[in-house]
Amino acid sequence: MFVESLAGNMKVALFLAGKSIARGNKWALGLTIAVMSLSFVNLIFTSSILSGVTTTMDEQLVDTTLANIIISPAEDRYYMEKASQVEARIRQVEGVAGVAAHLNSSAFIEHEWKEKQRQTDRGSSGTWEVIGIDPIQEASVTVIHSSIIEGSYLSEHDRDEIVVGIEIAGGDGAQSSEFLTLGGVKVGDELRLTYPNGVQREYTVKGIFRAREIMRADHLAFVTRQEMASVLGRDIFFDRATEILVSTLPGADDGLLIEEFKAMGIAGEIRNWREYGGAMRGTIATFEIIASLIGAIGLVVAAIVMFIVIYIAVLNRRRQIGILRAIGIRKSNIIASYLMQALLYASSGIGLGWLVVNFLMQPYFAYHPLDLPMGLVSLNVQLSTIWNSVAGLIAAAVLAGLIPAAAIMKQGIVKTIWGV
Amino acid sequence: MIVAQDLHKTYNHGSVFTHALKGVSFEVEHGEFVAIMGRSGSGKSTLLHLLGLLDVPTSGGIYIKDTDVLRLSEEEKARFRLEKLGYVFQEYSLLGELTVLENVCLPALGSMKRRDYRKRAMEMLEVVGLGQRIDHYPDEVSGGEQQRVAIARALINRPRILFADEPTASLDGVSARLVLDLFKKLNRELGQTIVMVTHEPEDEKYVDRTIWLKDGLVERESNAMLAGCAGSRIT
Repeated sequence: MFVESLAGNMKVALFLAGKSIARGNKWALGLTIAVMSLSFVNLIFTSSILSGVTTTMDEQLVDTTLANIIISPAEDRYYMEKASQVEARIRQVEGVAGVAAHLNSSAFIEHEWKEKQRQTDRGSSGTWEVIGIDPIQEASVTVIHSSIIEGSYLSEHDRDEIVVGIEIAGGDGAQSSEFLTLGGVKVGDELRLTYPNGVQREYTVKGIFRAREIMRADHLAFVTRQEMASVLGRDIFFDRATEILVSTLPGADDGLLIEEFKAMGIAGEIRNWREYGGAMRGTIATFEIIASLIGAIGLVVAAIVMFIVIYIAVLNRRRQIGILRAIGIRKSNIIASYLMQALLYASSGIGLGWLVVNFLMQPYFAYHPLDLPMGLVSLNVQLSTIWNSVAGLIAAAVLAGLIPAAAIMKQGIVKTIWGV
Repeated sequence: MIVAQDLHKTYNHGSVFTHALKGVSFEVEHGEFVAIMGRSGSGKSTLLHLLGLLDVPTSGGIYIKDTDVLRLSEEEKARFRLEKLGYVFQEYSLLGELTVLENVCLPALGSMKRRDYRKRAMEMLEVVGLGQRIDHYPDEVSGGEQQRVAIARALINRPRILFADEPTASLDGVSARLVLDLFKKLNRELGQTIVMVTHEPEDEKYVDRTIWLKDGLVERESNAMLAGCAGSRIT
């Protein structure tokens, strides 16, 4: 009995909604669906472009600075011993794409120091992080070698050459203010580095790179590991490492690899790159919050648009609603008919919007990514974003359909028909 | 069939109170065709709204076939209106988005199978003489025809009582006579109980009995059979 009654009610609601849509104003219907689809596209686009930014930032961090897994010395040590052995063992593990040991230090770097009037003049100088690398191995874990914008990358036996990031070199391509850089270093220029142990070396700038990772990578300078070992003390440091970066093959599980490294007895702290996110994590979390806020605003706008459309429809059919009630059509059937109309607007808008996102926007941004300072950014449409947007718009449609229709149902039949 | 007991209806417009009905009582028997007449503002439409369960009285009682309809919930009233009452409005009350046939089918959609309600709607449209206009939309038929479609719609669930609120007020003379003839036919041939509000004195000749309202009270009653003797059924 209840099921029959429910089916009967649904039949009436569907009939009213179907006829209203089929024989209503086609322009209004088209416009409403277009607005819904734009709202959906807006929700997806905003989240996806910000997600694209964070994805690019993550990728840049991995590709330029951290690789996938970072092995650092145990808490009570500054360096890892027998780095070449550790590298060799790790390289054997399935899923590992590349391994590179770093010997890190910092240095006070000066440009045009010979032209200083006094020894105390600051001139073009600053303190930056300098990393000793094996150029060939480094190319298997970071993209520094392919990010050279002037000059060339380091060779295995370079001793007097240095490669510097654009934010150290300065000049037109740098994002940092000029006074925070060396003010426009060119390939072939001489730099003097003073290391914390007092060793002072002069290098020729062999290359300048721009990795588009402005937080850290572009503020680095690279020399060969042999050179760094000689600076720090060749006898002790020739096989030491400050950190070992491990890049993994696509699809490899970093977590499982870390477990495997630990099981192999690799000494030191072994961490996923995400644990080193630091300030970048905060930036990404900020972007995610901004995306949520913009998404929420988009959702409210969509709900208001739908509310207005339904409200105008209800007002225009106020007398008709009264007559329907007068002839015995139940309130719930009438409300359900408006709810169904709102759901149709929303689902059609979602469908159209999905087509736009999937067949227009995604292909467009795949071929024409946005060229932002931190890199090339394209849409990163996540399934969760789509579901959240669908759920949000459907919820908005339910409210927009229910509230105006329910409000008019609160009035008496006589008032609804005759307005008195 | 219908018992109205001491019906009062007061409208409250801010601090102004309008007493539309001041204690109306009467009965309508099964199969009767009753007209409620009176001048504008006499309370006749208000009375019909109360009897048709479109509005609630300020006080008093309404019994339809021994059911105290004022005790029914909103949902029960809607069901009662759907199954036991038919209502014909003064002005065109059809849904413009539906064809003539769909308009007539509407009250039966939820309770009958498609084949059954279409068949009955066709029967009703034949009764009102519009069997050939089923696929037309309301704006494609005349005012009189629209009113006859509304009558067919009101009858599709075979209601016990048909209420008509000045059904001929918007019609020309010919169309009005067609509608009144139809009511007469429904009353005589099918035994349909009809309560009609009208302000046209000549409509009186179609009905069994007329209840005259004045200033929210029953002024008098005239029975066609008794050729104008008043008061016989006033309780």
